[in-house]
Amino acid sequence: MASPNARASKKQFTFLLIAIVVIGAGALGWAATRSTGGSEAIDPNLPLGTAQGFLMGSPDAPVKIVEFADFECPACAQFAMLTEPDIRERLVKTGMVSLEFFVFPLPMHPNTWSASNAAYCANEQGKFWEMHDRLFYTQDLWNTQSTSNPGKKMMGYATDLGLDMSKFEECFDSKRHYPNIKASGAEAEKRGINETPSFIIGGKKYAGSIPYDEVKKLVDAELVRVGKADTTAKGAK
Amino acid sequence: MVIAAVALVGLFPAMYLWLYKLGVVGTLSCKIGGCEKVNTSPWAIFLGQPVALWGVAYYVLLFAVALAGTSERLAADRRVPIALVTLTGWGVLFSGYLTYLEAAVIHAWCQWCVVSAILVCIMFVLSLLELRASRK
Repeated sequence: MASPNARASKKQFTFLLIAIVVIGAGALGWAATRSTGGSEAIDPNLPLGTAQGFLMGSPDAPVKIVEFADFECPACAQFAMLTEPDIRERLVKTGMVSLEFFVFPLPMHPNTWSASNAAYCANEQGKFWEMHDRLFYTQDLWNTQSTSNPGKKMMGYATDLGLDMSKFEECFDSKRHYPNIKASGAEAEKRGINETPSFIIGGKKYAGSIPYDEVKKLVDAELVRVGKADTTAKGAK
Repeated sequence: MVIAAVALVGLFPAMYLWLYKLGVVGTLSCKIGGCEKVNTSPWAIFLGQPVALWGVAYYVLLFAVALAGTSERLAADRRVPIALVTLTGWGVLFSGYLTYLEAAVIHAWCQWCVVSAILVCIMFVLSLLELRASRK
């Protein structure tokens, strides 16, 4: 039989475990329900607009890469900074590939809505890709961890890009593209996309920040499939 | 007893990161800024499952073994400290690999992963001490 000391020790141990569970569960509950600062809340009843892809390259390119990305997702930024420059230079400019970008705002990234809004508004002035690049290259300066007022940063980027600020501000403040942003996310879900970045190349889905060499292999395989393999030989490395 | 308590503490950061992967937790609380970069990197998946989920399973197993070792029936059974040394030794190796990835490949630090690595090291030392004590 256990001694009184052992029993007391066991009792203390049980209390310690209970305390850890209570504190840990409380902290997790708080983390799961905490507000993300002053970032805006998105109305769940926001109507669905039109899903719009932003195209780079020739619409007649033999291989089409469709990207679904969230401006606030670090892996998407990694892809935009490390892989995409090569894709643009070696595959899009050579006419082998067209790249179509859809925003896919994830619920864990409240500031992505502001960023997407800025990209859509920049698109009204023909500068979607310039804003796209600026957003990904400066992601750590406007993401939810950095600021609860991303709009201020977006205004700065629009100024830097030489946009007509009165038009940009009017577009940004009106939030008229929010239904379209929501529709773009719905389009991603409809196509079975559940993480970012995700890509559709030749009808097949690929997830994650794919390195250039892998993209090139997939594009080459697709060129063979569509009977444009000679483009591979003449095309970029 | 202490190992069971530490394992229980370690379970919560692992659950936090797993809930993040599930989308239940919005933005990760991260004072040093690289948590999300680490947890959305390709190395955050191991054998098809999030590393955080493996972490949860690991801590639950460790807690169960350590707790079993506190029972009167198994108090003198050397298989328990041996199992703990094996489990925590594996944990140290895997945590070392993950820490290497953070430092040399991803170039970002996840504070919760670092906390977990420290807890695993503490449990490894405690397991070694327990194994040594069980020889006497």
